[in-house]
Amino acid sequence: MNQNKDQREDAELEDSHDESSEAPTAAGGEALDLEGLDLTVETVEERISPSETNVFDK
Amino acid sequence: MIQLPSNDFPVTLAFPPQGHWTQPHLALPCLKAWLHASGYGDVEQMDLSVEAFDHFLTAESLTRAAEKVQRRLPLDRFKEDRLPLGQMRAWRAAAESAASAESVIERVEAAKAVLRGQDHTVEAERGFWDPDRYIPAVRTLYHGLRLISSAHYPSELTPHNFTMSYSNDSSEDVLAATLDEEQNPFIEFYREQVMPRLIEREPRVLGLSVLYGSQLIPALTLARMVKAALPDCHITMGGGFLAYIGDKVMAAPGMAECFDSIVFHEGERPLLMLCEALRLGEGLEDVGSLAWWDRSDPDHPVAVKNMAAHPIKLDDAPAPDLDGLPMEKYFSPRVVIPYDVNRGCYYGECTFCTLPTVIGPGYRTRSSETIARHVVELRDRYASTHFNFITDCMPPGMIKDLPERLIEAEAGVTWWADARIEPKAYDADGAKRLYESGCRKLLFGFESATKRILKMMMKGQSLKSVVEVARNCTEADISVTFYAMVGFPTETREEARATLEFIEEHADIIREVSLQTFHIDEVAKTYKEPEQFGIRVLDAPGDLALYHDYEADQGMTQEEAAEMFEEMMASFRRNLAIFSGDNIFYFMQKSHYFLHLASGETPQGFSGRCADRTEARAQRAADPGLKVSPGLVTVPLDFSYSEAVRTLSDPLARAARPDFLTGRYVRDADQVAEEQLPPLEVKERFLLYDAENGEFVELRDGGARVLAALRQHGTLGSLIEAQRRGGASEAALDRLEQFAAELHRLGVLRSKTPTPTPSPALASAQG
Repeated sequence: MNQNKDQREDAELEDSHDESSEAPTAAGGEALDLEGLDLTVETVEERISPSETNVFDK
Repeated sequence: MIQLPSNDFPVTLAFPPQGHWTQPHLALPCLKAWLHASGYGDVEQMDLSVEAFDHFLTAESLTRAAEKVQRRLPLDRFKEDRLPLGQMRAWRAAAESAASAESVIERVEAAKAVLRGQDHTVEAERGFWDPDRYIPAVRTLYHGLRLISSAHYPSELTPHNFTMSYSNDSSEDVLAATLDEEQNPFIEFYREQVMPRLIEREPRVLGLSVLYGSQLIPALTLARMVKAALPDCHITMGGGFLAYIGDKVMAAPGMAECFDSIVFHEGERPLLMLCEALRLGEGLEDVGSLAWWDRSDPDHPVAVKNMAAHPIKLDDAPAPDLDGLPMEKYFSPRVVIPYDVNRGCYYGECTFCTLPTVIGPGYRTRSSETIARHVVELRDRYASTHFNFITDCMPPGMIKDLPERLIEAEAGVTWWADARIEPKAYDADGAKRLYESGCRKLLFGFESATKRILKMMMKGQSLKSVVEVARNCTEADISVTFYAMVGFPTETREEARATLEFIEEHADIIREVSLQTFHIDEVAKTYKEPEQFGIRVLDAPGDLALYHDYEADQGMTQEEAAEMFEEMMASFRRNLAIFSGDNIFYFMQKSHYFLHLASGETPQGFSGRCADRTEARAQRAADPGLKVSPGLVTVPLDFSYSEAVRTLSDPLARAARPDFLTGRYVRDADQVAEEQLPPLEVKERFLLYDAENGEFVELRDGGARVLAALRQHGTLGSLIEAQRRGGASEAALDRLEQFAAELHRLGVLRSKTPTPTPSPALASAQG
């Protein structure tokens, strides 16, 4: 699997510095071209089908 | 009455997958109680649906599923320049599995413990009562089932449905599905988990309850396996779904290899007669309401259908017997006991309703005294004070009388039930008395806000009385749910929107809506008298077909009604608190919202909490302490995940897939969809999954770069500072903050201290 995940058990938020082998990286002090980067965030609100709304059948 | 030694005539009753996972179903407990009261002491009942959910949702099963997905659907298999519709569903399954499998496997047991209230010894500390622990747990289980589904692609198992590429409309399809181990997850489950127990027990009769279309293939799969292993076991099937299509099943070639008989309508008396005939070695000719195969010539079984049995006198029937059901496996912290107060409908006029086909003709009820006595018995026997009264509606006299008997018996229970708008019974005093007797939620058949449609439906209710009843219940702190229907013949878009507006205008007294699309089955009045409704019913291909498409000269087409369903649901998601954001999981898990009400929460209080939660999330801002969620997984993709999901949600794509519950399945739709829905072009994308949050989020290259930088810097504040030192403009930093705020709202970035969400129910739950 191509993935980037903090594997540590009970990881503390402040210790989160996981590295990605696949995702693009930006070096610590390197300036990001923030105005040029595509920062679009897309989510999909899961469709609720009629088969999922019929929750009260006998 | 006979009294059989316990090992003389073992009977096993099984509820095959898939049914709801939060509470037991009523059918088998009623049958077991009746057989037991008639002298059959060795009746075992198995809820194989909840057992299957429990089995699949283990680290071991999910690990096997993840390995299987890797073999069957490796993500790098999709390396073409374009992703056509025919591969989109498989690619989506591969992408989701790659992102979520590891986290889901790690967390599945903890998630089950949260839903079952087994995560903490102190009631008030249990995650079930805390939305920030409950909802991620539900999501984890949903993702677990998606992993199981991907392993058996293109089958899909959810808490509410099970579909395969095979159609229920065709016996050839159904029988092929029972043998397809690649796609049918239940073959292995039965072989490993169920068959050894049945072989050891050697039941003389195996009864399979098939209430829903989603159970047909799983039921026949088990029946076929048992038939091969235990040829002397008589396998009978019954239940609501077979009441519709049982005759067609009996007429279909190949079915005689799977089972021996079908019981139509109410099962108590026929099942007892069947057991008696088999025990005494008699023929089956006199077993009422039974269709069976005469195997006088073993090579050519002949289908025979007997006369109908007399319905039982319900008030004489024993209380349901839940002994032997795996109570600890239901996905609820407290067992909600199902109990049948009556059968049939005293009103019986609604033109869309086909209930008599399911339960048989006539209306019968238990007396209020019997109900109160049984409720107390069941409460003590199963140590639960929560009940789901199974009824289509209670008549006005019962609505007045039952609360008095429950209060008199000091039942001390809470309950919910379906109901019909009866303004005289649900007046202000009546509603208060219902609350005092434990009623916490009522579900009314509202259907439509258009008088013309209500008249065609013969609902016999006015909008004035609807509002009056809902307000009286709400003021008594009884939560109100409305059943609503879209697409009744001749209904226009404007009329459907009027229903939507009516509900939303009364959101203060209507907490939930169970919205359904209208469909025609072969026993409906709309099928038998289509001209009365201005429609032409079309032929349905397939020897087991139950549902029919139709054409109408006025009003919405079926496709338009399906679109209107989406429009209405989208609006409910915006405007009903319990449907907003991920609060909708409370609605989708049967009885879970009710359990909050039963624990002292009011409908208004719960809705307010849901609304506050959604609002608080929308208000999340980019504070400097934001960090990347430690469990975040990032998977690079070659296509856009969100584009794929949107394409697959198109009505054209959906119609190409069998759906046993809604009946909407258009043959050859896959070709039409392939022609009209363009393939996805290659795009560099990143799919994010966080187990704490459970939603998939998609970023582009730029977003992924910023996220990586955020990881390196530790906090948003540190990253901003570094960028400022590097010469970034204020506009650029503002853009960064907006991006971070968005990811914060989606749970990808976390502030150090989560916002507490106190629940008034917790205090009372502690008691």
